[in-house]
Amino acid sequence: MKRLILRLPGPMPVKIILFAAIVIVAVVALFFFYDWFGTSLLDTGGTIS
Amino acid sequence: MIDESTDSTKAATAAELSTPGRRGTRLKKFVRTAGWTSIGLGLFVLGFVGQQLFVTTYFAQQANVGLTADAQTYFEEVEITEVPYVPTLGSLVSGDPEIITSPDAPIPTILLEAKPEIGDAFAIIRIPSIERLAQGWAVVEGVSRRTLRAGAGHMPSTPLPGQPGNSVISGHRTTYGAPFHELDTLVEGDIIEVETALGFHTYSVTGIEIVTPRDLWVIEDRGGATLTLTTCHPKFSARQRLVVFAELIDGPNAEAILGI
Repeated sequence: MKRLILRLPGPMPVKIILFAAIVIVAVVALFFFYDWFGTSLLDTGGTIS
Repeated sequence: MIDESTDSTKAATAAELSTPGRRGTRLKKFVRTAGWTSIGLGLFVLGFVGQQLFVTTYFAQQANVGLTADAQTYFEEVEITEVPYVPTLGSLVSGDPEIITSPDAPIPTILLEAKPEIGDAFAIIRIPSIERLAQGWAVVEGVSRRTLRAGAGHMPSTPLPGQPGNSVISGHRTTYGAPFHELDTLVEGDIIEVETALGFHTYSVTGIEIVTPRDLWVIEDRGGATLTLTTCHPKFSARQRLVVFAELIDGPNAEAILGI
């Protein structure tokens, strides 16, 4: 993780902010994926169509 | 001669030692990569289960509190009209006196409420025999993924609860608060109560069936005023649908619709 932060551009505070932003975007994307996967396969809400 | 043989022996020994050393390093790297991959996959699956079972339920329960309050406000604000109803036709007659064959007979009337907007909480469903539904669960208009995040939604193409025709409400079974989790425990004669702006509509369960998601006949009009609840089946699978059929037995419009 330390190596990943060091590879990011800019000075250290910028690197940390960038890393935090990447983590937040990744978590949000992951939750969207979980939501889509869950409502497609596990429980659609029981609709008839 | 002696020196040469000694050197070659040393070189051979070094080569023998270095090969397993490299192999060991590669094996260590492989085990480490496999280990981290397994941990990553485990966290991914754990995150999925946690998000589906707990996060969605937490947010749906929070939303339900707000939506129940919204529904109470909706009850007070929605426009209600009284219209003539001909029970034999099983449909509404919008004030057309020619259709009424006997002018002397009293014209039954029913109460109608304006159609809610998609996403509006307009009803509260209560099933006394199911613990999580005994206190009531808000029903929103619409059955899209977004609207069903609240837990239960009314199919817009069907009549509202308490009105003539087959009203269909769909709900989640294992996620998003899982309001219909124990729908399979219902038996014939169990009571389902739906509160709308018109008042309390009481339905009695008439049957339960397992169908495919494409069995559209379950949402068709069966005459009178009926309620159909649909949810996923089996639990943790969207392969089939569990359908509960119920008929209106009491409520503001029951007398006119049932002809009693």
